[in-house]
Amino acid sequence: MATTAATFDQVSHANVDTRSFLRKYVFSTDHKTIGIQFLILSLFFLAVGGLLAMMMRWQLGFPGQAMPGGGVLPDTMAPGGILLPEFYNALVSMHGTFMVFFAIMPLLVGVFANFLIPLKIGAPDMAFPRLNMASFWIAVPAGLLMMAGFFVEGGAAGAGWTMYVPLSADPEYSGVSAGQTLWCMSIAVLGLSSILGSTNYITTIINLRAPGMGWFRMPLSIWALFITAILTVLAIPILSGAAIMLLFDQTLGTHFFLPAEGGQPLLWQHLFWFFGHPEVYILILPAMGMVSDVIANGSRKPIFGYHSMVFAIMAIGFLGWIVWGHHMFQSGMNPTLGMSFMISTLLIAVPSAIKTFNWLGTMWRGNIRFHVPMLHAIAFVAMFVIGGLSGVFMASTPVDIYIHDTYFIVAHIHYVLFGGSLFAIFAGIVFWYPKMFGRMMSESWGKVHFFLTFVFYNLTFFPMHQLGLGGHMRRIYDPTEYEFLQPLQGMNQFISISAFLLFATQIIFAANFILSWFRGKKVSENPWEDTGLEWTTPSPAPHGNWPTTPTVYQAPYEFSHPQEQTKDFVMQTDKLPTTSPAGGPADR
Amino acid sequence: MAEAEHKHPNYVGVWVGLAVLTLLELGVAFLSWPKMTIILILLGLAVWKALLVALYYMHLRFEPNRLRILAVAPLPLAVIMIIAVITEYVW
Amino acid sequence: MAHAHAAMRPPAQAEPGAGVYTEKLGMWVFLGSEVMFFTALIGSYIILRFAHPVAWATPGQILNVPVTAVNTFLLICSSVTMVKAFAAIQEGDQRMLRFWLAATVIIGATFVSVQVFEYLQLAREGFLPSGYVPGSHLAESAETGAAYEGGAPLPHSVGLYGSTFYTMTGFHGFHVTMGVVCLTFVTVKAFRGGYTVQDHRGVEVIGLYWHFVDLVWIILFTIVYLI
Repeated sequence: MATTAATFDQVSHANVDTRSFLRKYVFSTDHKTIGIQFLILSLFFLAVGGLLAMMMRWQLGFPGQAMPGGGVLPDTMAPGGILLPEFYNALVSMHGTFMVFFAIMPLLVGVFANFLIPLKIGAPDMAFPRLNMASFWIAVPAGLLMMAGFFVEGGAAGAGWTMYVPLSADPEYSGVSAGQTLWCMSIAVLGLSSILGSTNYITTIINLRAPGMGWFRMPLSIWALFITAILTVLAIPILSGAAIMLLFDQTLGTHFFLPAEGGQPLLWQHLFWFFGHPEVYILILPAMGMVSDVIANGSRKPIFGYHSMVFAIMAIGFLGWIVWGHHMFQSGMNPTLGMSFMISTLLIAVPSAIKTFNWLGTMWRGNIRFHVPMLHAIAFVAMFVIGGLSGVFMASTPVDIYIHDTYFIVAHIHYVLFGGSLFAIFAGIVFWYPKMFGRMMSESWGKVHFFLTFVFYNLTFFPMHQLGLGGHMRRIYDPTEYEFLQPLQGMNQFISISAFLLFATQIIFAANFILSWFRGKKVSENPWEDTGLEWTTPSPAPHGNWPTTPTVYQAPYEFSHPQEQTKDFVMQTDKLPTTSPAGGPADR
Repeated sequence: MAEAEHKHPNYVGVWVGLAVLTLLELGVAFLSWPKMTIILILLGLAVWKALLVALYYMHLRFEPNRLRILAVAPLPLAVIMIIAVITEYVW
Repeated sequence: MAHAHAAMRPPAQAEPGAGVYTEKLGMWVFLGSEVMFFTALIGSYIILRFAHPVAWATPGQILNVPVTAVNTFLLICSSVTMVKAFAAIQEGDQRMLRFWLAATVIIGATFVSVQVFEYLQLAREGFLPSGYVPGSHLAESAETGAAYEGGAPLPHSVGLYGSTFYTMTGFHGFHVTMGVVCLTFVTVKAFRGGYTVQDHRGVEVIGLYWHFVDLVWIILFTIVYLI
C-alpha cells in the first residue's frame, strides 16, 4: 500500500533502531521527530515575528528617529536607520502573518498534535507516517517563500495580515507586487501542509486509539487537538481558494475582487473571515487543551467537569463557524446580517466561560504544585479572561463601530494570542520537554522567565486598551501626525520600552531551552507524576513508543484517587481492584 | 478489507441513469421556460446525479452511519457561507 | 509505571473507530477538505453572479456545450470503469482489474486533453480569464452590440465570466490530472500483482478520489455550462 497505517508489527522492537542519520533526523516519519522539527522551525519564526514587532515598536515609540542597528537595513527599507512608511506597512503585515501562520499555528498544531496524539492515545505513530513527513517538508518552502518577500523589489506584502483588497490586489495602490504574490503562494503551500497534517490527526484519533481508550477517556489536550484538526481541514481550504483567487487577480488579470469589472472587495473579506474565525479557534483550542492537562497535574485533582469541558470544546468549534462577520461590522456589509453575527458572537462567550470556571474548579482545594508549567497555565486562565472580556465589548456592534481598527483590537488579539496561546505554549514546551529530550529544563530560570515575561507582557499590552479607547488607529506609521493622538504618545513610548524588555526576556527562555538540551537534569519516565499514557514510556520516548500496545483502564486525570493510598495519582494504564478495561462503573 | 456485500449495486444500471439524467439536463437547459424554473430543475437533476455517484459508486449507501455523517459534514458549512454572502446582494 | 516490561502481550485490537479501515477514513477526511476548497471557488462564482449578473453570456454562446457534454459523458464512463475495476478485484479477477484500471486512466487523460483543447479554442476566439481579448472576434462582436450568431448580443464585458470559468474548471482539471497520475501508479502496481482479494485498499481509495472528481464535474457542468 502506498501509505499504510503504522502497526505495531512494523515499528515494534522499540529497542532496535537501524535507521540512518538522514532517516532518523531529517527525513523522519517518526511523529516525535517531526514534532521537534516543527518546534525548531516555529521557534525560529516566533523570533522573526518578534524582531519585526520590535522594529514596529521603535517607530511607534520614537517616530522618525534612527533605530539602533537600523544601519544594517538597506535604503529601500530604512535610509539612515529611519523606517520608511512602506517598510512599516510590510512590518505590520509580516509580523501578523509570521506569528499567526508560522509561529503559533505550527507551535500548537505542528508540534503538539504531532508529538502528543500517538503518545497519549496509545498508538505507535500516526495513521500515515510518510504523509506526516511530507506535511513538515511542505511547510519549510512555505516559510522560505514568505521570507523571500523581504528580498524582492517592492518589499514584502504590506496590506495587513488580512490582505484586504483592493490594496492587496493592485500594485498601483500598495507599491508591492512580487511580495504580495509570494504571500499568496506561501499561504497556498502552507495550506496544503496543514490540510495533510490535519487529515492525519483526525484519522489517527478516530481509528488508532489503544484498547480501553474510549472517547471519554481521552485527555482534553487530545480532544482539543481533534476538534482543531476538524476546523483546520474544513477552514484552511477556503483560505487557499481565496489566496489563489487573489493571486490570479494580481497576476492573471482576473476580476474576483477588483471592482473595475464587477469584482467584489467584500467577497475577499467574507472568504477570509469565514476561514479566519475558525482560524482563531484553531489558535486557542489546543492551548486550552494543554492547559487543562497541566492544571489537573499541578492541582493534583481531576479536571472539574470533564464532560462539560469536552462539550464546551465542541460548542466552540461548532459556533466558531457562524460568527465571522463580527470582523466586518465596519465594512459596509448588510446590517441585518451583521446583527445575526452580533448574536452568535455573544453566544460563543458561554462555552469559553464554562471552561474558565472549570479550570478554577479544578484548582479549588487542590494540592497545588507551582511548577513552571503550572505558573504559565494559571497565567493563561487569567490573561484569557481579560482577552475574552474585551471580546464581549467588540461583539456588540454599536461599541465596535467606535473601537474597530483601533489599538483596543490589538490589545484583545495579543491578550488571547500571547497571554493565551503563547503562555500555554510555554507551559507545554516545559511540560513535555523531558519526554522530547530526556532532560528537564531549569526550574529556577523557568520561574525567572515566567515572572519577567508576565510583568513585561502586561505592561506592554494592557495600556493598548487605553490607546484604543482614545482613538489610536491600527497600522498607522506616525501617531504624532494626528493632533488628537499626541497626548497618548507617552503611553506609546512606555509600551515600546516594555516591549523591548519583553523581547529581551525571551533570551532566558531560549538559553534555557538550548542549554537544557545538553546539560539539563536527566529524568526517567514520569518526572511530573502525571497520569497520561506518554509517561509510561522512557524519556525521551523511543521509536515505536511502546514494545506492545498499552491497555487503558482509567479515565484521564485520576489524581488523588481514594483507592490509591501510596501515591496521589493513578496512571491511565494502572489497574485498580474494581476497574474493567472498557469503562465500567468505576469510571467517574 | 473487502466489502461484506455478496452482491454489489448494479453499476451499469447507475451509469444508464446518469446518462439519461445528463440528456435530460441538456434538453431542459435550452427550453424557453422561465429562467428560475430551468435553474431549479437543472440543480435538482445535478444533485440527483451527484447522489447516485456518492451513494452507489462511492458506496455511501452501504457504509456505517458514522462515515456517512463525516462525508456530509462539510455541506452545511458550504451552504451557510454561500447563502450568508448572497444576502449582501439580494436582500 | 513499568507495565510494558511485563510479559510481551500480542498487539490488541484498537478501539472501534469509524468502522472502516484507516486508509478509507483518511481519504474521506481529505475529500471533506476538497469539498471546502471547491466551495470557495464555486461559492464565489455563485455569489459573484448574484452581485453582477450582466457579465455572463447565455448558455452555449461562448462555451462549447456539445463537446463538453460528450466530455462529461466520458468522465461518467470513467467512473463506471473505476468501480468495475474495484468490483473485479473484490472477486479476485486480476485480469479485469488491470483492464478496467487502464481504461480509467485512458478516459481520464482524454477528458483532460479535451479540456485543454477547449481552452485553446476559447483563447483563440478571444475569451481569457481576464475577459475578452482586445481586438478579438468576441470582443468586436460585443462592442457592436449586435446579435451574436443569430441569438442575443454578447455581454459588454465578461471579466467575471472568464475569471470564474477558468478558475473553477482549471482547478477541476488539475485535480483530474493529479487523479490520472495517481491512477497510473495504481495501475502499474496492479499489473505487478500488487492487489489481492484480501487487500485492495489502494484501489478503493483512489476510486473514492476519482468518483469525487466526477461528482464535482457533475455540479460544475450544470452550473457553469448550462445555467
